[in-house]
Amino acid sequence: MLILALAIAMPAIAEDEKEPAAASSRLEVWKTLREEKAQRLQPERRNKLENALFEFKERRILERFQAGFHGIRPKLGGFETGSGFGMGAEARPRLFDGLLDARVSAQASLKGYQRYEAGISLPRLADERFFVNVDLSYRNSPQQDFFGLGAESQEADRTSFRYEAAEYAATFGVRPIAHVETGAAAGILRVRTGAGTDPRFPSIEEIFDDGEAPGLGAQPDYAYAALFARVDTRDRPGNPRSGGAYAVEWKSYGDIGDDGYGFDRFNVEAEHYFSFFNERRVIAVRAQTSLAHTRNGNRVPYFMQPALGGSEDLRGFREFRFRDRNLLGFNLEYRWEAFSGLDLALFGDAGKVFETSKEFGLDDLKTSYGFGLRFNTAESVFWRIDTGFGREGPRLFLKFGHVF
Amino acid sequence: MRFAVILLTAALLQDIAFAQKFHPDDPVYVDPDDAVDVRNAARRQLSDYYDFLENTFLNVGDRRAIPAVNINTLGEVPDSSWFQNRHGRTTMSIEALERGPNTGDGPASGTWRVVDAKTEGVTPGFRIRDGRGDQYFIKFDPITNPEMATAAEVISTKFFHAFGYNVPENYLVFFNREQLEVDPKARVEGDLGKTRPMTTADLDDIFRRVHRSKDGFYRAVASKLLPGRPLGPFKYYGARADDPNDVFPHEHRRELRGLSVFCAWLNHDDSRAINTLDMLVESNGRSTIRHYLIDFGSTLGSGSIAAQKPRAGYEYLWEPKPVLGRVFTLGIWDRAWIRARYPDFPSIGRFESDVFDPGAWRPEYPNPAFLNTLPEDGYWAAKIIMAFTVDDIRAIVRTGRLSDPRAEEYLVETLIERRNKIGRYWFSKVLSLDNFRLDGDMLRFDHLESLYDFAPAPAAVTARWFHFDNETGKRTPLGPETEHALGAAPIPQAAAGATGETYFLVELSNRVHVYLRRTSGSFSIVGVERF
Repeated sequence: MLILALAIAMPAIAEDEKEPAAASSRLEVWKTLREEKAQRLQPERRNKLENALFEFKERRILERFQAGFHGIRPKLGGFETGSGFGMGAEARPRLFDGLLDARVSAQASLKGYQRYEAGISLPRLADERFFVNVDLSYRNSPQQDFFGLGAESQEADRTSFRYEAAEYAATFGVRPIAHVETGAAAGILRVRTGAGTDPRFPSIEEIFDDGEAPGLGAQPDYAYAALFARVDTRDRPGNPRSGGAYAVEWKSYGDIGDDGYGFDRFNVEAEHYFSFFNERRVIAVRAQTSLAHTRNGNRVPYFMQPALGGSEDLRGFREFRFRDRNLLGFNLEYRWEAFSGLDLALFGDAGKVFETSKEFGLDDLKTSYGFGLRFNTAESVFWRIDTGFGREGPRLFLKFGHVF
Repeated sequence: MRFAVILLTAALLQDIAFAQKFHPDDPVYVDPDDAVDVRNAARRQLSDYYDFLENTFLNVGDRRAIPAVNINTLGEVPDSSWFQNRHGRTTMSIEALERGPNTGDGPASGTWRVVDAKTEGVTPGFRIRDGRGDQYFIKFDPITNPEMATAAEVISTKFFHAFGYNVPENYLVFFNREQLEVDPKARVEGDLGKTRPMTTADLDDIFRRVHRSKDGFYRAVASKLLPGRPLGPFKYYGARADDPNDVFPHEHRRELRGLSVFCAWLNHDDSRAINTLDMLVESNGRSTIRHYLIDFGSTLGSGSIAAQKPRAGYEYLWEPKPVLGRVFTLGIWDRAWIRARYPDFPSIGRFESDVFDPGAWRPEYPNPAFLNTLPEDGYWAAKIIMAFTVDDIRAIVRTGRLSDPRAEEYLVETLIERRNKIGRYWFSKVLSLDNFRLDGDMLRFDHLESLYDFAPAPAAVTARWFHFDNETGKRTPLGPETEHALGAAPIPQAAAGATGETYFLVELSNRVHVYLRRTSGSFSIVGVERF
């Protein structure tokens, strides 16, 4: 009976093995199991996939990629929509025991856009009370769009121009209390513009004249000074779910060549995040305005005027769709978590550009709405897919980074 | 794995294979699973990425709904290298609960030499050697939540020890910077895994990122190095192929299935393979493997580096159904946990009892042993949990030394409420007749569900007695079914008069079978089965 039962219970045991004698105790049964296993021990092995994933983490492949080669790491995206895929490299060494941060980067895109930046920061002076930044940058945007000025510009009047700018700036700031920064900045901005290289559309000078595009053909050099104040109570700036960020800036651009292009600009931006259901749902709101002031008959060149449209503000319209001296914009988003790593969003955008301060107000706003996917970590949104709908057709944006 | 299944089959069918249900040594209270010398067990390191993938997307382990295979005939877990019965079997004193696994007072006072460190990443920490030569891992709280992770680690360690698991000695320590010296041979590991000689600046860098109290002291957990040689984590399914003593598939061990209930109580959502450790130790002149649970920083509302996420304990990291529900309802629909309320205690994080549902609790990602938890497994664990009185819970929580008495009281109350929910849930899944004992010619027992006021006591219990042939399994009725008041069933005269070694079975309300063995004129309870 015992042998028959064993034969039923242990079909894989080799036929020439002797069946064990009937066990006289429970412990004997278990001991027999262990002694039998001791005859068939195998080393523990990982399969190929587990091995590969283990080595991937053990060798810190992802961290090494992010850290780059001798501190030089890849940098993706960062150009405006329509510039083609952009990539480059950057280095951000920390020097003198962390007292000084340096950064150098170079990027280019498939459509010939370029950006080079270098800078040093001392962000932790006097127990982080003060900070100093010195920045140098050069950018070349050979196909920036121009549709004419004002809210009534026509999509059919699309042209392109080359915008090239070299900037040298220094910023000094104070953090008087937690979450608050204020300070001043000064710099030189050298702008060069020219014919656009987008083969699909005319160059700006073929369609517009200086009256319709102030500063057409001008190459002004600016010396500017700025004052700013910022309050930032966001829990995580890269993926905020609570708090807000508020900034005001006054910037005065002095035309070094005195060609009549000097102006002042007053910028205000406010964003706030209301969360509920344990921060799994967020209502995000943003309002921004940029107001220009000129004296003595000066004009603000078209290329120095703020623009509305594109992935950062009015997502139902192209990048740079509407330009004028002044801008007013609003964004509202409802974000909800699908799972850790992906948030979904429904959004509505509204805004307008206008020439005179009398037009400041909530009338005649351009609007768009849409939905988006936000791939994220707890600390930041690293990839965003937004689809916006406006009166000029749907727009799809794939961007690295959050909208706000 | 195939060998383990064969062994399992053999063990499960042993009553057929060996033509007897009970052996003379039943019920066994100790499983001597150090019987065979473990000579060649080698260190095994797991990939936590692979662990997540295989447990989330593959159906690993044996998922048959079979009774646990390593229990004794009373349905209890014998003491072994996996588990030693403590508070569930005998009442531990308050002092023993407070002491937990700790055998001493922690690191010796005086200078601590730092022997290695990890300065990058989100969880900096270091290893020290104290004046006695003992080594400890030092772990801190995140700056955003002082006391949270250290309290959770210390408190949960004591609970898991009291349940019966092997856990490290974790001590709450307070020290100042001047107590530390960097050992000349110390190495520090950077973000890219490279090590280099450690400097004082590295230590200063660590302390810049941890919370410091106003009196200049740092609070941390000092986790004593486990004895023996580390062999890496154990998986929650299968058995170690190089351990001859590991013959019961882990997904069918009661103490690993029942672990799901203990983890639910303490919200230990990070209860995965990577937070276990097998240690090769010398025992009784042989090498054997002892199996530990480690790392309890992600319990009781703490997520180690921040408060536990709201999802912790309620939803897997990847779970398609609720994701699709959220997507297609634009977030209007969601599970109840989304509305859970948490008080603002930074030292607690996110821990609550209102939304907690013992039947729906789950860890970060699927665990084969947890998925195999049957009502009897949950009931076994719930009995242990219910053994913790309010004073017991309060005493253990006190060892976390939370400075805010309101936070401490909140933690105690939440644990009490969660305990009651667990008891109410699991005691309702079986007929909770228990604590069987013999009193003259009476078989006495309790009804746990009513004992704890979870449900009214049944008015009566039916009993049907049989003579049980241990060799053949044949049952011969000793009389008709009778009805009795709850609490006792008289042993029939026919049984009491039996001579020689004889077995008897009583079926109580058709759901609980109790086996008695009569030898030398006296009865003993030899088996309990629940249906």
